[in-house]
Amino acid sequence: MTSKTVSSSVYGWVDDRLGLSEMAAFARHKTVPVHSQSFWYYWGGISLFLFLVQCFTGVLLLVYYRPGAEAFESVRQITFVMHFGWLIRSAHSWSANLMLFAIFVHMFSVFFMKAYRKPREFGWLSGMALLGLATVFGFSGYLLPMDELSYFATKVGLEIPAAVPLIGPAIANMLRGGPEVSEFTVQRFFALHVVVLPAVFLPLLGFHLWLVQRHGNAVPPCEEAKPASERKSIPFMPGFLRKDLAMWLISLNILALLASVFPWSLGKQYDALSPAPMGIHPEWYFMSPFEMLKLLGNWLPGEFGEIAGLLLFSAGIVLWILIPFYDVEREAGRRSRAAHYFGLAAVILLLATTAIGYWTIR
Amino acid sequence: MNYPFWDIPHLGSGWVIGLIAIFHVMISQFAVGGGLYLPMAERKAMRMADKEVAAEWHKQLVRHSKFFLILTGVFGTVSGVGIWFAIGLTHPEATSTLIHNFVFGWAIEWVFFMVELTTIAVYYSTWDRIDPRLHLKVGWAYAVASVFTLIIINGILAFMLTPGDAWLAVAGTGQEASKFWNAFFNPTYWPSLLLRTGVCTSLAGVWALITSSRIDGDKQPALKTSMVQWSVKWLVPSFVATPFLLVWYLFMVPASQRALLTLGIDTIAGGTFSSVTRIALIIVTTSATIVGVAYYLAYRNPVDFNLSHAVSVLLLALIATGAGEYAREMLRKPYVIGRWMFSNGVRVSYVSRINTEGYLAHSEWTWNAGAGNPPPSSYSRGEAIFRGECGSCHTLGGYRSLRTLLDGRDRAGINNFLVMLHEYKADSPYRRFMPPLSGTKQDVDDLTDYLNAQVNPSAPVAKKPVLTAQK
Repeated sequence: MTSKTVSSSVYGWVDDRLGLSEMAAFARHKTVPVHSQSFWYYWGGISLFLFLVQCFTGVLLLVYYRPGAEAFESVRQITFVMHFGWLIRSAHSWSANLMLFAIFVHMFSVFFMKAYRKPREFGWLSGMALLGLATVFGFSGYLLPMDELSYFATKVGLEIPAAVPLIGPAIANMLRGGPEVSEFTVQRFFALHVVVLPAVFLPLLGFHLWLVQRHGNAVPPCEEAKPASERKSIPFMPGFLRKDLAMWLISLNILALLASVFPWSLGKQYDALSPAPMGIHPEWYFMSPFEMLKLLGNWLPGEFGEIAGLLLFSAGIVLWILIPFYDVEREAGRRSRAAHYFGLAAVILLLATTAIGYWTIR
Repeated sequence: MNYPFWDIPHLGSGWVIGLIAIFHVMISQFAVGGGLYLPMAERKAMRMADKEVAAEWHKQLVRHSKFFLILTGVFGTVSGVGIWFAIGLTHPEATSTLIHNFVFGWAIEWVFFMVELTTIAVYYSTWDRIDPRLHLKVGWAYAVASVFTLIIINGILAFMLTPGDAWLAVAGTGQEASKFWNAFFNPTYWPSLLLRTGVCTSLAGVWALITSSRIDGDKQPALKTSMVQWSVKWLVPSFVATPFLLVWYLFMVPASQRALLTLGIDTIAGGTFSSVTRIALIIVTTSATIVGVAYYLAYRNPVDFNLSHAVSVLLLALIATGAGEYAREMLRKPYVIGRWMFSNGVRVSYVSRINTEGYLAHSEWTWNAGAGNPPPSSYSRGEAIFRGECGSCHTLGGYRSLRTLLDGRDRAGINNFLVMLHEYKADSPYRRFMPPLSGTKQDVDDLTDYLNAQVNPSAPVAKKPVLTAQK
């Protein structure tokens, strides 16, 4: 029996049971549009790739990380004692930040391509939920080293849910595991980071990817306006996949560059009794909402300002999430200008408030 | 005499050289590799059986040679002058050594450079005007001239890393020029030349992908496919040879400097990888990425290969080039000219003299003591020493910030650290990448006062008199 015969019979055996041929046929027939804005199609794949890096490095960190009272010491050992521990930790932290950046780019590209419209509403909603979960991943992971910076940043961060009227303090206490951030908080955040969030995130990610396969890539309104004969597309397999792999390679290279040349640092061990160090600020992806609430608080001081700020901010997010339900214009080539300006305003607001935030902490 | 310092806050003067140099290397090495690419592509077109495709290649090469002429002839030359300007200000002492030692080397290089500029101008302007075989010969003349510029500049650059024992034996005696050839064909000359030649051919392919990406794949699929795929092949030799050449290159570097590779400059990864090792590995990983990306995006999808794809390959090449130049510079530490001059411009043989007479005794341009000026404070003397001895590599609040690096130390802690740098004991890990702190005990104390006032702003600071640029 030749090796070719063996491999084809093994393939046949698996194919009978899993339907590999059907999947291959589906991949061969699936096409991806080619146009001047095709570049934005890669960002979903880049986000996915960085998430896979997160899983891989996260599992390796899990081998040595010890939540609770020993959290800082275990991260210190990972960073300074374990061979290549610093690299794995740096890759994990950098890929988390890069993944959030990629998700943001993906979200805005979907928004401006109007890829949330019928029949892709669920794709948009599940994507928004994934973004929300990714930020919670970031927030919960940030505390785990329990150094000075992560301790005080989490302490400040948990004051936001605590500000919610009536139920806020109870929620904050539940997250903290008591009135103060402590080793109980680390234990809870750890459970959230490695069990609860993945358990929610993974099925949702599967659903999101399934929707992408089901509906295919949306084309922007300017492309929709063209007659079908003028639109170009390439097969997903192998044309687009090759390009996707090239993008993944570039992402991996950028990640390797950042992780090795700018290793993620570890500060001093936290001391609950010491004053908060200067310049405590949220991570860049929380800087914009933090700054917006701060600015609103300056204009409307007191508890009223806090509540108004939270309400206004929440209203903006709700409007953003519900865009597929009020921007329903389907006529080819037309686009809802109001929604477009809303998107532009959101980008400008995010960038401006983030810049102001970093400027004012200097 | 200490030369005037060039103070670039936040960025540091070293990065001014670095930024110009990385930009220059991307173009000047293209000038060499592209010099081979053009006549080889022209010859290939002349030998094509399909005259229609050959005519398309010909038109594309005219476009490419225009791009080549403008990029290398304008931006390459301007950035080359920029490097001279920047190194003259940042490292006057080292620049002076290079000029005095290689004055004929520089002269020969400039002759070839003039031949280069002339032949490329003739090459571009005589397309379809002279006999094709003569035109091809002009292309080859350019190629030879450009390769010779590499052959010469490589000797001088490699000299800075490994001047060689024969030159070092006569260095400082006034007889340095007698060992010109020893200095030129120094230990790292050949591996460095082959490495750079590989980079040149790769960059020829990378830049050619930029012009090839502009071909309309729908209208000229055959031209675009053949041009893109042929350009990608220019990346392969360097990719295959680089790992072996890097090992050879490192093997020729003195063991004391090579030890830097196993030392953790950064406390993170201490003993496992130093930053120079990590950056050297970036060269390897990015080169591999370039080949992978070029294969997937260009070689397998030539018709769809567009300018964004080509620019992404170019940016990766920029990262690899930047990492390569940075690693080469770092490998030279603690010297700017191996075993002869420390990275802060202090000659190795002058250290004991400075330790006796004081650093500022020879700082005629930076020091205004005496001559009716008020007596300088310890703080202002420390500032002058900081600028002279630390400023080549460190800034106060930017790149390699001393405020950050010394954070958490009180005056005694800062002083202990400086004393350690001053004593420069044989087992000190800092010997591998930092020069000694040259000067008297008073100099060390003055620098301590200055740095302490920077790191611990609440520390009492003596009134600062004005430092002027005149003696």
